[in-house]
Amino acid sequence: VTIHTMLRAAVTAALLVVYGAAPADAQPSSPTSAGTLPGGVSYELLPDPAQPAAAVALWYRAPSSGFGGTPVAGLSRLAAATVAASAPITGTPLGRLIQGFGGKLTVAAYPDSVSVIALVPPDHVSQTVRALTADFFAPVMTQAGLQIAQRDVGEDALYRSYDPEDAVEDALGTALFSAGPLHDGVLGTPDGYRGTTLAQVRTFAERAFRPANAILVLSGNVNASALASIATREGSQPGSEQPIVQARHVDPAPLARAGHAGGIGLGWVGPPIADEAAATAMDFVADALFAPDSGLVQKAIGTRKATVSGRFVTFHDPGIFLVTISGPDAAAVRPIVERALADAAKPMAPAAFDAARAAFVYRVMADTETPVETAETLGWYAVEGNPAYAPSEARSRYFAAAGALTPGGVAATAAHYLGTAPAVVTLTEQQQSSRPSGDKKRT
Amino acid sequence: VIRTILVGSLAAAFAAPTAASAAAATTVIDLGGSRGYVHADAGTPLTAVQLFVNAGLARETDAQNGLAALVAELILRSPVPSTTSGQAVPLTDAVAARGGSLSYAVSSGYVRFNLQATPETLPTIAPLVARVLAAPAYDPATLAAARTALTARIANDEQDPRLVGLGMLRASFYRNGAALPALGTPASLMTLTAADARAFHDRWYVRGNAYIAAVGRTGATSDAASRALVAALPSAQAPAATTPSTRPFNSEPRRLLTHRDVPSPYVVLGFAAPSLGDRDFAATLVVRSFLADVFVRPSATTRPLALRGIGTVYGYDVAPAQFALWINGALIDPSTGLGALSALVKATGDKPLPPNILDRYKESARGEWQLEALSLEDRAWSIGNAVSQGLDPDTADTIGASIAKVTSADVQRVAKRYFQKFDVALILPRTAEGGGG
Repeated sequence: VTIHTMLRAAVTAALLVVYGAAPADAQPSSPTSAGTLPGGVSYELLPDPAQPAAAVALWYRAPSSGFGGTPVAGLSRLAAATVAASAPITGTPLGRLIQGFGGKLTVAAYPDSVSVIALVPPDHVSQTVRALTADFFAPVMTQAGLQIAQRDVGEDALYRSYDPEDAVEDALGTALFSAGPLHDGVLGTPDGYRGTTLAQVRTFAERAFRPANAILVLSGNVNASALASIATREGSQPGSEQPIVQARHVDPAPLARAGHAGGIGLGWVGPPIADEAAATAMDFVADALFAPDSGLVQKAIGTRKATVSGRFVTFHDPGIFLVTISGPDAAAVRPIVERALADAAKPMAPAAFDAARAAFVYRVMADTETPVETAETLGWYAVEGNPAYAPSEARSRYFAAAGALTPGGVAATAAHYLGTAPAVVTLTEQQQSSRPSGDKKRT
Repeated sequence: VIRTILVGSLAAAFAAPTAASAAAATTVIDLGGSRGYVHADAGTPLTAVQLFVNAGLARETDAQNGLAALVAELILRSPVPSTTSGQAVPLTDAVAARGGSLSYAVSSGYVRFNLQATPETLPTIAPLVARVLAAPAYDPATLAAARTALTARIANDEQDPRLVGLGMLRASFYRNGAALPALGTPASLMTLTAADARAFHDRWYVRGNAYIAAVGRTGATSDAASRALVAALPSAQAPAATTPSTRPFNSEPRRLLTHRDVPSPYVVLGFAAPSLGDRDFAATLVVRSFLADVFVRPSATTRPLALRGIGTVYGYDVAPAQFALWINGALIDPSTGLGALSALVKATGDKPLPPNILDRYKESARGEWQLEALSLEDRAWSIGNAVSQGLDPDTADTIGASIAKVTSADVQRVAKRYFQKFDVALILPRTAEGGGG
């Protein structure tokens, strides 16, 4: 209690929270889709007044395992959850506040970034912007909040460890990179979270969650006036975090692990986000091969008992191409997957290519249907350093790149990035393994 | 059990009033005798055109269970010419290859097909879908593929104990079509023939009761697509479907038991509930918010469904409606949970909620309702579902205001009338010896 009280006092002194009317220069004179506010906060705005709800998101570039010292897998998730669970100076923890007016709050951690997204009714947007930015820009973190976060994040990690795709992709980062957050992984373990101290979490949060490192994304039924509700913090460190260097293995060695989920993983390093043509081509390849139901690999599997997923992840530099094969027939399906990947280096017939591209463009558009999906997409591309390339009709560069794809160009890109031997991960499912929630599917 | 903290009181005091943009109303267009309900959203690049056909579960007899889903699945899997080769491909693949998607869902009163695409691609896709709607394929290969797909979906649903419990409670609560499994069962599907499917389609896929709900970037192309879909159906009228009826509850809960491959037990309670157009609907949403908060422990973020101890499903796609509340036995002891819930609903019926508690749950109920339908498909369903129950297409937009008017007396009345009697479905793990079934 004493620490809590002292911390609150210190934060109150350090914090200038702008409630209600903002200084005139903090509010854009006219709605713009992106910019930087005087406190250093970047913002992305994509209003759609016909939507029934709104998303308010904060994105931060921050390594999931910490800024140095001994890596703690999932530290960024734990820190963000601790902020959301701790009682701030306004008295109500963020998670409880949002849910109190019927909204939903989620924290997601990625190797080099972390997001906090609130889905809220439109008439609570300003209140959410105010609370979210006040709580994260000058984080009050309590022992009680940490305990709640440790329990929640630990349960999530345990639950996700039973998902072959999550487990395999986490391990593929270790196989592809010799150091850095992709190597360290984002899942973490309940024991690891329990062993993390408030001091560790606080140190991380103070650096990661400062205003100048924040990207605020507003989407759905919002308007620019909500930007006036952003909190600011005097004396916080200026400048955003620089992109994180990922040290690659030159010749990745196969990695074998035992865990709650079994599966085979194949991973390749891909183009950086700045190479828009190549990144779009890799997205296209992943969609054409692995789209649920209609992907070429999915059709080739037939009735075999295996689940295959594949995707290109557009990181700053490099991107990564990840494939997960799981199920009783995983080993038998692997040659089918490898053959399909090899065939991707050959140009598709023009008609088949046009059909695959039409399906690809539709699915990308459908992935930004709701306010949260839009906030996730815009935030991701912004935090990875290329917001103008985010798949959004309003910012047409992504779809222009998709329109410019050619069979030959896609094949050449696939040959370049997928033509090398992949990093291979083999996860063996431990016996007596039973998912903890009474539910086999993630919902 | 009831948390008494007034959520957001300080924050609310600071909140600047920010009025939500007024949602545009749904417009009604004529589709050559049928109706189209159009709700524009220019902020999205896509349009959902949803066709409602009065060919749902209410059209099935017990012996025909699964036929509504089988016919819908046949439509999706009917072969059409490919754009890339001389070979025929299933309709869904052809739609995808043109830049769209097609899906369906079966309810008591209707089957609905959701066609989604950009306005630029709709003109090429809609006629294709229309041709198949008019004349699906019933050949053995398509029939086998449809059966296989439905069986896989059923197996997938069987892995979710909440859906298993809901199915058991529907079967217990309703007397006719609404009681049947929406997709049939693997056994019932095997008995259905191509002739059965053809007869069902010929009899019930008619224009008279069909309508369209279109949401998104609507305009001339979605209007034309809507006309094409409706025009694909013969201009006949079908007799009205049987209105769902319900069984009376016993004074003691009816206990329904099954065993599944789940690692922990689930308990699902089923209550009678007011339908979407009922004056008690808004108060029931407040009760829903109240009950869903029982046993909720402090958490950092909104917990995923699989990690929640308790949750609700309000089946207002049928009138009369059914309300279900599930308890995850891995997180809450089922006996304790059941006892506490019974006591709580009794207490809620016995005396009015204190004003601060009522305000709190009205606030959360109003917000939860606004987040109820977010995807284009769900938004189109929301309009179509209201229409199916004879209500204004924008009924969902009026519910928030109705919640604001809910009083303690309303909540008490709803608790007394709807929540004192219920059925209980128990979904238990199979024993090591393979017990249960």
